Amino acid sequence: MALFEARGIHKRFGRQVVLERIDLSFEAGRLSGIMGPNGAGKTTCFNVLTGRFKPDRGRVVFDGEDITGLSPSAIARKGIARSFQIMSLFDEYSALENIVIALPDVRARGFNMIDSLSADSEAADRAAAVLARVGLAGREHRRAGDLAYGERRALEVGVALAARPRLLFLDEPTSGLGTEATARLADLVQDLKRDHSIVVIEHDMQFLFGLADTISVIHWGQVVAAGTPDALRENKWVQRSTLGAPP
Amino acid sequence: MSVTTPILEARGLVKRYARGLIRRRETFRLEADLTVEESTIVGVMGPNGSGKTTLFELITGSNMPSAGTVRVLGRNIHEVKYGQRDRLAIHYHQSYQVRHFRRTRPSFLMQPAGHDYPMVHLFDEPQFNTQDGYIGFMLEFFRKLRSEGRLVFVCLHPNEPYHLELMEEVCERFVFVLAGRVREYPDFDSLLRATDVRSYLGRLVSPDAA
Repeated sequence: MALFEARGIHKRFGRQVVLERIDLSFEAGRLSGIMGPNGAGKTTCFNVLTGRFKPDRGRVVFDGEDITGLSPSAIARKGIARSFQIMSLFDEYSALENIVIALPDVRARGFNMIDSLSADSEAADRAAAVLARVGLAGREHRRAGDLAYGERRALEVGVALAARPRLLFLDEPTSGLGTEATARLADLVQDLKRDHSIVVIEHDMQFLFGLADTISVIHWGQVVAAGTPDALRENKWVQRSTLGAPP
Repeated sequence: MSVTTPILEARGLVKRYARGLIRRRETFRLEADLTVEESTIVGVMGPNGSGKTTLFELITGSNMPSAGTVRVLGRNIHEVKYGQRDRLAIHYHQSYQVRHFRRTRPSFLMQPAGHDYPMVHLFDEPQFNTQDGYIGFMLEFFRKLRSEGRLVFVCLHPNEPYHLELMEEVCERFVFVLAGRVREYPDFDSLLRATDVRSYLGRLVSPDAA
């Protein structure tokens, strides 16, 4: 059984159907991709899967448990972390502090002790290990607001990893990144793939085709195609496109 | 003898648009008689302003006809509750194409759709772009809907040779809309033999294609 499943998700906003008959299945230990053109419903789908919106019909199941309609924080406590396309860092704090305050035991203690938190050497050590994992060793004491855009994105991934999630969602991780920063992020995600179950929602097809084990293509709010990158590439029209060229 | 209900039956369908308060003058008139018995993929072509989108609005029940009926699996779409019409027939369009129409009757007096997922899918000028590979996924999706017993309309205003190529590849029958008149063609060859279709397509069809 898959680690995470969405079955028959239907969602409408007023007169507009935004998600129709969405079936998705993410296996443990895999990188699953969701791609689609702008306006296809990817972000709404992400928001339904992670609890921000309740679907009108359908079920979301994580590790055998029905989590449909649970709040985002309740879903997060089940072990699902998400990183957003809109930056959600605390710019005034250092990279290290951003990770420290995302550590579950520190969160449980509360945020009001931030000055003493960086002095908590055990938490700081764990945070430094997370920073190293996302390629930010040496940047511990840099203000988050002073980091380069690509480094900020890596820090966001670090914040999500700090919770030691069983499933990590990345929403449009390449958005706003240049070619070089995108390549560095691809290396990071490739590395994380070794020991994490990851779902990447992305419009950059090249990025996703290079990393994903399976891809679901969303268009018109529906899953219009799904399969391995190789299987999806077999389509004649895909071969005629820039995706058809070998990486 | 078995009698099957057609997926779509548009009978004596007329939509008139008129202007002027005292002397009403007709500015546009769409007429259609169209029956589709079984699941298939229908290609729809025609110039801008010929009535393609109005036809789709009538089939999905968002727009009221001046005369005639549209039945989806025997159900009169204009008798179905407003909020459930897209459970029978759904119009996929660009956001700039959306027109909202007045609702003139209380929904509780109307019929339920009887389906959760639409039986008729109308794709209005989907953005086909050869660069990104999505065409392939879209065409596969049309075929999947058809294999599930649904009816698919793909409307396109071809301006590149590959537009015709993909219509020929995926569509099984064709509809050509010109100045409010709706005509059917059983296959791509007969479509391309029609004189006004050829003049509409212009440079996209070479003189020896027919």
